[in-house]
Amino acid sequence: MTDDSAALWVNGSVARLQGMPDDERLLDTLRWRLGLKGTKEGCRTGDCGACTVLVDGKSTLSCLTLTREVEGGSVTTIDGASDDPELKRVSAAFTAAEALQCGYCTPGFVVALAGLLKERGRSAPVEELMDGLQGNLCRCTGYAAIARAVALAREDAP
Amino acid sequence: MPPFELVTPATVDEAIASLRAIAGSGPAVIAGGTDLLLDIDDGRTAPGRVVSLRRLPWRTLDWTDGALTVGSTLPLRSLEDDPDLPRRLPGLWQSVHAVGSVALRHRATLGGNLGRAAPASDLIPMLLALDAEVDLVGPDGSRRLSVDAFIRSSRRTTLAPGELIRSVRVPESRPSAFLWQRVRPANDISQIAVAVAFSPTRPGWSIAVGGMPPRPVLLTDVARRLGHGRPSEELLRDACDRASREVGLASDQRASEEYRRRLVGTLLGRAVRAVVASGEVPS
Amino acid sequence: MNAAPRSDLAVKLAGAAVYGMDLDLPGMLWAALVPAPVAHGRIRSVDLAPARALPGVVAVGAEDLASLLPRGGGDPDRPIFPTGEVAYRNQPLAAVAAPSLREARRAAAAVRVDVEPLPALIDIETAFPDWPDAHAPPSPYVIAHVHARHGDVAAAFDTADRVVEETYRTASVHQVALEPHACVATVTGDRWYVQTCTQTPFGVREDVATLLGLPEESVVVEGTWVGGGFGGKGSSLLEPFALLLSRASRRPVRLASDYRQEFELGRTTLPAVIRLATAVKDSHIVGRRVRLLLDVGSSLPGRDFATGYSIGFLLGPYRTSTFEVEGYGIRTNKPPFGPHRAPFAPQCAFALESHLDEVGRTVGLDPDAFRAAHLWREGDTTALGQRVGPFGLATALEQARALARRWRAAAAPGHGVGIGLGFWSTSTGAGGEVRLVLTPTVLRIVQAEREIGSGSVLRGLAAVAERVFALPPDRVRVEYANTAEAPFDSGVFGSRTLGALGRAIVEAGEKMLGTLAERLGAPGPVRLVVEGDELVVLSGSIRRPVRDLLNSEERTPGLVATGRHYAKSNTIDEQRVVTGTFYPYTDFTGAAHVAEVSVDRETGAVRVERYAAFQDAGTVVDLPTARAQIEGGIAMGLGIALTEEAVWSDDGRFQNAHLLDYRIPTLGEVPPPEVTFVEGFPGAGPFGAKGLGEPPIIPVPATIAAAVRAASGAHVTDLPISAERVARALKLL
Repeated sequence: MTDDSAALWVNGSVARLQGMPDDERLLDTLRWRLGLKGTKEGCRTGDCGACTVLVDGKSTLSCLTLTREVEGGSVTTIDGASDDPELKRVSAAFTAAEALQCGYCTPGFVVALAGLLKERGRSAPVEELMDGLQGNLCRCTGYAAIARAVALAREDAP
Repeated sequence: MPPFELVTPATVDEAIASLRAIAGSGPAVIAGGTDLLLDIDDGRTAPGRVVSLRRLPWRTLDWTDGALTVGSTLPLRSLEDDPDLPRRLPGLWQSVHAVGSVALRHRATLGGNLGRAAPASDLIPMLLALDAEVDLVGPDGSRRLSVDAFIRSSRRTTLAPGELIRSVRVPESRPSAFLWQRVRPANDISQIAVAVAFSPTRPGWSIAVGGMPPRPVLLTDVARRLGHGRPSEELLRDACDRASREVGLASDQRASEEYRRRLVGTLLGRAVRAVVASGEVPS
Repeated sequence: MNAAPRSDLAVKLAGAAVYGMDLDLPGMLWAALVPAPVAHGRIRSVDLAPARALPGVVAVGAEDLASLLPRGGGDPDRPIFPTGEVAYRNQPLAAVAAPSLREARRAAAAVRVDVEPLPALIDIETAFPDWPDAHAPPSPYVIAHVHARHGDVAAAFDTADRVVEETYRTASVHQVALEPHACVATVTGDRWYVQTCTQTPFGVREDVATLLGLPEESVVVEGTWVGGGFGGKGSSLLEPFALLLSRASRRPVRLASDYRQEFELGRTTLPAVIRLATAVKDSHIVGRRVRLLLDVGSSLPGRDFATGYSIGFLLGPYRTSTFEVEGYGIRTNKPPFGPHRAPFAPQCAFALESHLDEVGRTVGLDPDAFRAAHLWREGDTTALGQRVGPFGLATALEQARALARRWRAAAAPGHGVGIGLGFWSTSTGAGGEVRLVLTPTVLRIVQAEREIGSGSVLRGLAAVAERVFALPPDRVRVEYANTAEAPFDSGVFGSRTLGALGRAIVEAGEKMLGTLAERLGAPGPVRLVVEGDELVVLSGSIRRPVRDLLNSEERTPGLVATGRHYAKSNTIDEQRVVTGTFYPYTDFTGAAHVAEVSVDRETGAVRVERYAAFQDAGTVVDLPTARAQIEGGIAMGLGIALTEEAVWSDDGRFQNAHLLDYRIPTLGEVPPPEVTFVEGFPGAGPFGAKGLGEPPIIPVPATIAAAVRAASGAHVTDLPISAERVARALKLL
């Protein structure tokens, strides 16, 4: 049943979702309905993490989430990186560590790490943060530069 | 991939009613959706209606007298983050932590995992070894049954038309361990998973093995042979041999049957030793 | 050298980089392919009518080509849509477009396909059970045959002290760029325009023109940002279908793979069986035999690059004067073999290095010392008669052995340390050109390649120009232009970008500096300095702003100089070649890797504890990007070594066509490696640089195999080295 009053908060702005089919995925809503292409489409089976966004502050696979199921919620994507303190912090760490190459997995990594910092705090042990990123695949960097970025994103980073 | 209608009932009665309204044509229930949506995408199921549980008051977690009750729609990440879980039910914490990624666990639920009855579920073996029970609610009222009785086969449960999983209950705190082997340690499906728990009240061991079709199984006879406390090395070795010989296994693209037998024996020995090492198993 | 941050970081971190998957044009249609339902079969009919009956659907099949294409199509050997036989499962038989992806998929499913199944050849070993004992596989399946020899091989084996003969098997692996293939085509009049994520814009242009029978100039390829290539995004894959549908619908048409199709349609490394025999006398190798059976999928006869190219990697970087190599490329009902970062070289190095490890042990020598004694040095001759140029592998191996000694001394029980070697030669391909444009304030490098991630374009080329002109990074800009605007380049592949385009920049730069010197009236060389906003030309005490040296036609865009670099012809000794095409090397680079692994003695599970790489790099032009290539190559190599394997069913299904069961490494499985560059052995690139994209992946499976053997005694001869295979080697099963 199409509920034309459906709405979502995306990067701080309200997005109305008139005429949206019930089976639409959050990934497609963001990319094709709202034009926010920063969130990347990779495997669409929940295995690569490229489509990770925050829903109410928690990292979420947007390919395996029905938009209707998060209606009324607050979604943060890489496109909103400049307005979110954790996303900004993680982006700065990725820049300093040059923790990306092709960049396709990067939005997912940045959002997932920002989510972990929100969830666990900026002084969370580095092992816990790394463990929490195992759902994000990167084929370019070999993760070494990403590990350096994780270390830089923590509170007590030098 | 035809579109489906999503209904989001506000009460349990409404939810049951909306399931009944099209009973027979295969309505699906969505909790986190991380498994159901994959099946829909691959065309393995094509429900005309999907009933969402998100407005039901089931995102709960409660410890009463050592028993844990988890609402069926509580995200696995919230269960994992419960401060008492690693101490009271270490094996359950390990098995929850083994599921997918953090982002997946933010949406996936215990109820969904049981309801979908995936043959390779990492949670079901541990729930079996903990003698967990499911509380169901349906058109004919409520009932409670063991996870063992609830899971019938691969992707099949004893859930009746119109019935929903309300919660999962683990009756007591138990020293426990969950060990698995995968081709790739993270983000993979277990070739073999072994769940072991020691019940202080019975007292005695429970063993369950997962990672192979059609469903995770309890090894009741092997567990009984471990006795009522710390088993001797000889007893343990015998139990491991027996388990690896007797459990029903098959070959698939993740592992051969032979190799799985090897893993069952090895992981069982390690899991029992890990539980003994907790110091909570009497000699 | 001065390290500047990569210029692509900000746009990618803002989520603002538009990749092929992000292309979104007003009014565009969405496309889907109609897949062949069997791996091999005779096409009876492909009926598009049910799809065309759906609203808004445009469909194209084989019979539409005559009306859509000026010459009805191009290459008769490679028709866009097959009409006779299906060559592999999911081969596109037709294509459809509709206003939405959902409708396009529904339309593709509505097409009625009637194919009479024929027996499919999937597994080369079950097809040729007698190989390699029988001399040759049955000829109908052989599409490539390469054979070379030198010296009296039979005598060498007859008089040897020891002969070691082994068989190795390697798996099919996939590139797994995280971005699937995606493009949007817009055909207007005679202009066939396609935006696509590609490593080779000009390669796509040539391929599309050939397949569709169009003049190359009428095809314009616009590269987007590329979400990883690794060889998988060279030449064309989806572009011809999107162009045809755009021609038919007169609308822009978007066609993208879903990830399953990414696996099913991808051209990648396929399985092989390798037989290696080595004759040893007085602790030295006196003769070698190499036989290769390589699955090349539905590659076309005469178009196989893999067999002759890869077989050199089975001879390896070792002195080999008495040898015989023979390889067969076998056509199977799989997609054609395609390049995967250092195509098939890691698999060859795995077999060869593991074999030499075995040979060394058999004759009672330290395997690392045994390999060191046979390694190429500068001035040596390769098996095929090429002179070896500056080559740092012996030095890299010395350093690796020193580190391995320290690691071995400290290794915990159950741990083992192994060394693996690999070599590579920069492929300059068909060469390329650049256009330098000097404005009063900035130097622009105009060229054809999009940055695919390695940094070789945006940072590597900038670093070369910074060095030629002694300019700071903020005064050098690398600019991309499409195939209608940019000078030709053959693509980002073969570790060639920095080498070939870098050399072209050096040439153009020298011309430009010469022109500036002339106009300045300088007696000697000139250089550029920055003064305020302006670039100023200096020679001794003479100085003038660039602005004043430009003539009136050069005010826009600026002073232009072009540079080109094309590969030199080869020096293979043809007398050693019996048949087939072997590939010559341009320069020689190598890497020695060290791994410490632990092996679970009860389950066979392998964990990589530490890793180090010693890379012959000629001259390192930009340290952070060079290091990043090594780190990334190692991780990708660990996948080949331990977990990656495409599983093909007997009826040609890619059974694990998703990222759960096709397992690339996650960050828990890759310890951050120690990376050391061995400099002083100059290569063919600018300032003596050597390509670094592919060399770091090559030694990894060999290194892991050596470490697993050192840790546990398990001698695993098949890739990947799964826990189950280790358990079998340890006789646990």
